[in-house]
Amino acid sequence: MKIHASCHCGYIKFEGEADPEKVTVCHCTDCQTSTGTAFRTNVPIPGPSFKLVSGEPATYIKTTAESGNPRAQTFCPKCGTPLYSTNPGDGPKPSYMVRVGILRERDQLTPKVQIWTRSSRPWVNSLEAVRKTEKGLT
Amino acid sequence: MKINGTCHCGYITYKGEIDPEKVALCHCTDCQTLSGTAFRVIAPVPDTSFKMLGGEPTIYIKTGESGNRREQAFCPRCGAPIYSTPPGAGPKNYNLRAGTIRQRNQLVPKNEIWARSKQAWINDITSIHSLEKQ
Repeated sequence: MKIHASCHCGYIKFEGEADPEKVTVCHCTDCQTSTGTAFRTNVPIPGPSFKLVSGEPATYIKTTAESGNPRAQTFCPKCGTPLYSTNPGDGPKPSYMVRVGILRERDQLTPKVQIWTRSSRPWVNSLEAVRKTEKGLT
Repeated sequence: MKINGTCHCGYITYKGEIDPEKVALCHCTDCQTLSGTAFRVIAPVPDTSFKMLGGEPTIYIKTGESGNRREQAFCPRCGAPIYSTPPGAGPKNYNLRAGTIRQRNQLVPKNEIWARSKQAWINDITSIHSLEKQ
């Protein structure tokens, strides 16, 4: 399916073609820190389908993966929104791991697999017990 | 409880004293976009105990549904979200992004807010196939 991405401030926009069967949740500690929350949600898009429509992402090269592989993590330099990760360096990329929260189509993208669950927050599996409000704190 | 935190690259470091009973999930669409994922986890810290130890975050001003403006702070080098706070002087809280807190293993959310825009699959997360690694 076609996906449309935008950061919060609108400076960065890009598009691509995603397979909804490949949406994942990543519970690794790198993703917890880099998102500031419990896990990341990702969907890969093939390199040839990626089209940057506007803006110039900032890039951080992460070298802490257990595999030792460096990874380019991009974000909007103006509002900080995480955008995607990909292979470091110049030239065409085989694929981009896009952050699902920035997609217009995110409500249609249900994760099919969770990875690195050995570091998942235990409470993620028992949210039924948490008090909920429809809007903000009252 | 006393906490300390850091962004992913280590440029930003901070410390403070939080009330673990006030840790919350926020499902608002702003948090979904700004975190790039399904929800944010926040831990409020009063300005009286919050202290930046290193680094200078970039500030983005967001205007919410209420019309209120909020500063959203993130690391300019690695992009990790750090906190939000009202613009201007205190007294005020900084809503720390719990994923950057070193003691996050001990922080269990007690409230979920803006549940009307919660991603539907979260309620069934235990049915999603899980792998210990990748």
